[in-house]
Amino acid sequence: MKISKAEPRKAQARAREMVILFVVGGVTFAIAANAVDEIRELADIQVLPSAIPHQKLTKVRHTLRRQGRRYFVVDAGAHFQMLSTQPTRLMVMRHSPAAVIVDAIDRMQEIQSIQALPEAFSGEERRWYRGLTLIKGKVIPVVHAEAFLTKAETTLLNAAMRSGEIAAKMAVTA
Amino acid sequence: MIQFATTRQTFVLFPIGKKRFALPAEQVSELAHQDEPQAFPHTTPLLTGVVLRRNQIVPVADVAPLLAGPDAPGRKFYLVMNRPGKMRPSRTAIPVTGECELVDAEWLPVTGKLPLYVCGLLSLQDEIVEVLDIEKLMSAEVSS
Repeated sequence: MKISKAEPRKAQARAREMVILFVVGGVTFAIAANAVDEIRELADIQVLPSAIPHQKLTKVRHTLRRQGRRYFVVDAGAHFQMLSTQPTRLMVMRHSPAAVIVDAIDRMQEIQSIQALPEAFSGEERRWYRGLTLIKGKVIPVVHAEAFLTKAETTLLNAAMRSGEIAAKMAVTA
Repeated sequence: MIQFATTRQTFVLFPIGKKRFALPAEQVSELAHQDEPQAFPHTTPLLTGVVLRRNQIVPVADVAPLLAGPDAPGRKFYLVMNRPGKMRPSRTAIPVTGECELVDAEWLPVTGKLPLYVCGLLSLQDEIVEVLDIEKLMSAEVSS
C-alpha cells in the first residue's frame, strides 16, 4: 500500500472573514456575519394564515413584520431536514426577506479559510453550504445565506400571501 | 477509472463482515484507525460524516451495509481512497471491519451475475474475492 503525501491545499480559499456560529439540532453552523441584520427572540412572529401548498415551502410557517417589511420565517431544522430542534432565536437576513429560526447563537468568530465541500457530497448540501471551515479541530459547515429562501421561493410565498389576503378580503365582504 | 490488465497487480484486501473485498492498491492512499466521524446535515446516500486526515477534510462513506447487509459488524479502520473527482482528485474514507492485506494477484473478468459495482475477481488460494469499482458503488443508482 502506498503512503500518500499530504496534498497541497488548493481547495482552500483564503477567506479570513467574520462569521456567526449558530446551533440547530445540536450541530454548529457558520454564516457570514454581514449576511445577518439582526438576531432577536421569537416574539412578534406570526403564523401564516394558511399553509403554503408546496412541499419545499413547509419550512416556512411564520412571518415577521419589521421596519415596515415582511420577512418569511424559515425553520432552519426543516431547511436542513433535521428531526429534533429547540428554536429560541431568530436571525434576520440582510439581503433577503428571510428570517431564520435557530436553536441558539454560539458566538462570532473570525475564520481563516473555507475548504470546498468534498465532491463526494452530491445532494442538497451543495446548495446549502459554501464550504467547510475548521475551528479548533471541529468541522463547521458554512451556510449559503441565500439558500434559506431562494428568489423563486420568495416569489411563490408572495403569491400565496397575496391570494390568501384576497381570499380573506372576499370572505369579509361576502 | 477501471483498467483490466493481463499482468498481475497489487490489491488491498479488506474485510467487511465475514467476506473480503479488494481494491486496486493504487486507489488506496492509507489505512487509518477509525476516529469518530464529524457529522452535519446532508442528503448524500452512504456518507456518514467527515474525518480530518493531515488537516484535510475527508468524507466517510460507509459501504458496509451495502456489501454485508444491515448487521455488518463494527468498523475498526478506515481505508482512505484516492478518487478522480470532476474538478480535482479527492479522497474518501471507507470504514472496514478488520485488518487489511496487500496481495499480488491476476485481475480476472467478472463471470456470472454479480452486482454492478463488482468489476473483477481475484482467485486466491481458497477464496474468490470481488474487486470493487468504488465509483459505481457510490453512485446514486446503487446506493439509493
